[in-house]
Amino acid sequence: MPPFEGSATNGAGRTKTDSNIVTVDVGGQIFQTTKQTLSLAGPKSLFSRISVSHSGPPFIDRDPELFSVLLSLLRTGNLPSKAKAFDLQDLISESQFYGIEPLLLNSLSNPSQFDAFNLEKSLVLPLNGRNSPSTIATTPCGSVHVAHGSKITSFDWSLRTKSTILTQFTAIDSLLAISPSLAAAGATDFSGLQILDLQKGIVKESLNWENVTRSSSTVQAIGSSPELLFASFESGRRNSNSIMVYDLQTMSPVAEVGHSEIYGADIDSAIPATKLNWVSGYSLLMASGSHSGPSGVLGNIKFWDVRSGNVVWELKEKVDCFSDIAVSDNLSGIFKVGVNTGEVYFSDLRNIDSYNPWVCLGDRRKPVNGKKEGVGCKIESHGNQVFCSKGGNIELWTEVVMGSSKQSDVKLEDRVFRKNLMGRVKDMGGSKITNLAFGGNKMFVTRKDQQNVEVWESSGRGF
Amino acid sequence: MENGNSQPSHGHQPNDRVKLNVGGKLFETTQSTILSGGSESLLAVLSNRLAHDTDPVFIDRDPEIFSVLLSLLRSNRLPSTARRFSKQELTDEAVYYGIESHLRSAMSPPPFTGIDASVVATVRPASDGHPSAFTAASGDGSFWIAHGGQISSYDWNLLHAATIRTHLDDITSIRRIWSDIAAIGSESAAGLHFYDISSDRLVGSNHWTDPSDPRIYKARVTAIADSPSSVFASFDCPHKENSILVIDKSTLQIASHVGRQPGNSTKNTVPGKLTWLPEKSVLVASAISSGAFGYSGYIRLWDSRSGKMVWETNEPGSGRSDRYGDSFADVDADAEESILYKICSKSGDLGMADLRNLGEDPWVYLKDKNPSMRKTSGVGSSVIHCYGKQVFVGREGSVEVWSRVEGVEKEKEEWEGLYRRNYVDKVEDSERGIIKRIEGGGNRLFVSREDAEGIEVWETSHSSNCVSVL
Repeated sequence: MPPFEGSATNGAGRTKTDSNIVTVDVGGQIFQTTKQTLSLAGPKSLFSRISVSHSGPPFIDRDPELFSVLLSLLRTGNLPSKAKAFDLQDLISESQFYGIEPLLLNSLSNPSQFDAFNLEKSLVLPLNGRNSPSTIATTPCGSVHVAHGSKITSFDWSLRTKSTILTQFTAIDSLLAISPSLAAAGATDFSGLQILDLQKGIVKESLNWENVTRSSSTVQAIGSSPELLFASFESGRRNSNSIMVYDLQTMSPVAEVGHSEIYGADIDSAIPATKLNWVSGYSLLMASGSHSGPSGVLGNIKFWDVRSGNVVWELKEKVDCFSDIAVSDNLSGIFKVGVNTGEVYFSDLRNIDSYNPWVCLGDRRKPVNGKKEGVGCKIESHGNQVFCSKGGNIELWTEVVMGSSKQSDVKLEDRVFRKNLMGRVKDMGGSKITNLAFGGNKMFVTRKDQQNVEVWESSGRGF
Repeated sequence: MENGNSQPSHGHQPNDRVKLNVGGKLFETTQSTILSGGSESLLAVLSNRLAHDTDPVFIDRDPEIFSVLLSLLRSNRLPSTARRFSKQELTDEAVYYGIESHLRSAMSPPPFTGIDASVVATVRPASDGHPSAFTAASGDGSFWIAHGGQISSYDWNLLHAATIRTHLDDITSIRRIWSDIAAIGSESAAGLHFYDISSDRLVGSNHWTDPSDPRIYKARVTAIADSPSSVFASFDCPHKENSILVIDKSTLQIASHVGRQPGNSTKNTVPGKLTWLPEKSVLVASAISSGAFGYSGYIRLWDSRSGKMVWETNEPGSGRSDRYGDSFADVDADAEESILYKICSKSGDLGMADLRNLGEDPWVYLKDKNPSMRKTSGVGSSVIHCYGKQVFVGREGSVEVWSRVEGVEKEKEEWEGLYRRNYVDKVEDSERGIIKRIEGGGNRLFVSREDAEGIEVWETSHSSNCVSVL
């Protein structure tokens, strides 16, 4: 937008329709801007109606100071520093009046602003009552839903307002945000997957898997792709399990993959998937599950082609099985934390046929003995990094690109990953981390026995 | 958006612009914004009179507070700049401009939900801070505390409004029967007394006397309830004879007696709790006493018009009940939903009975589905209070809520599956003392504790109350 457009003002003889300059009177104060600037607000905003109005400067009966902040936002895409004089809540409600909340959201909670190296613990969101969070779900705009006990508390993208609903669950084990007001929830002691309307606090739909034994079907994991919703069910008698695929819009079942019935002592097929990850780069569904038995922890990782219902690749874990697993599209790799060693392992997605695909990124000399150092560790990938919780700390794993050779030429063994402990000294340690999630430009952390959610934010233009 | 210069003959258009000069600062707004504060407000009157003047109306008040209130009128919410001013200042200024109701609705808490509430304040009277009784019956969030023979009133903003001294030294029952009149009683002094809080004086007293029975004298009040037309007070004579007296609310004179009884056994002791249910004009009277062999008592429902008993239950009842030995520790009636709730003394379970369909054994017991809460059973002191379709139970020091899961329609037989029990408080909160009384009003929950000064005020908030830890 040209900053100096003509010299015509309203008082001048020229007709206003020719001029590119728009004059508005907000609460008694005159503002001038250009049509282009106002058009940035989008067709749904109040400004689109202003710019077409007729004689005299249009009058808007709102606070002029808040308007000047929002006008700066329109002009530059960023909030001016004087915005800090106001509460974010003021700006949000004012931007809602003008219909430009998406612009405000974009300037404050844009996923592109996520910078893993620049995350610092900035906010604590307290939860009422005595239940610690069991699971959390985030949306791309940075709002977060927290399940604690039978309740779900939802925080909006600005994390300034919240609402709480009561569910039929005693505790929620899997939660997935479908939209800022819709979530899928399930529990390992409750039959059926519920689609919850978080604003009204009602069950919109209850999805069930009809298993052969006609017993209840509990939910072990929930995942989603842009179009599909996945749910891993296990029968109440724990003798059969399956992954149901639903259409994310209509919630109607589309397919069923990996249905297995257990006869006898075939432990391997008895393991239901407890983590479902959509790998968009390969259009595959990663399903992993593990089982702790007398001979140690056994597990399997399967990659499903949802359309054909076939397993594309399967990895059985017998030695140092994963305690958690993450797939990174950006790094085209799988990461696991070994349950015995507690070390992070990497496997290249392009090279997964080999007998033992795992490369230990941490201490390779650690013996695999009876110790279970990796129990309860969480691993998640977001952006170009992998985050791994160990006790109360978070390790940040980053690939270091060496030399000029293209990534595809580099052999698996040559890929270099390095780790860092996240946070300042004062933020390290603490209770064991139970959940890691990412949304907007933030990372959300919950800890054992802590009735709150920690928010780690990339500093910068934030509020 | 605007009408330019409207002619005087046109009358006022809602989009007419209004210029105001408040304390030297110019404000410009529209007629409709001004009128949203009510046509009786000072602003409306002023702007009406001078709407067609070219000169702005001059108001000799602080412009900064005005800008807060103008934002309130424009957007129906208080801007963050309101925090620069005290609640008292804002209220005073809103009263001046005649838009207090607007401010009130913006400052009042959202509907109270026990699953998401926190302590917002502990209101402590300046002297004798241990409340002996309190009432939040007005429903606008204001409340009166009786403490050390005084009554302190607090307005909807939790601000201290007035304190008066009564002739009683220990007020154990208080009820707000008119906006300015409190009915009070004491278990250590005779009579039911009415005090006018605003004019600070005793306006009436009632004593239970019976010309035919000289033993009826010095009767003390143990509980007070009120309906739109009557006040109900249970009186207890020194020799245990007791009765519920119905007092006409407008004349403050005794109108009738209900349920006079000798008081020589637990089945006819004086009621310790009275609740009036508007739907059927029924008065619920309950008496509970605890002894070496556990709790015993009764619940009786009286038709307040005919004075006849509608229903009664005694506990411990007959041995046929599957809950024998698990008698109630406290009872409350939900007037909104016509449900009677009792808390079982031994198991800690909540029993509910449909008041529309009472029978021999109407109780449905709500079992606890939450494994983390099971250990709380079998506690000593329990109080129960129904508010906003939720049941609040104080067990020792902790507050829990039984709330219904929304959107599930089931038959009555399956009631127990509809309720979830959750703690309202945190462990730290429960360590402040044993809960004496819980009462809800004006989307707030008021809690008083044994040996604790003041009254806790709990509210639900839409604000996340996030804490910066940078």
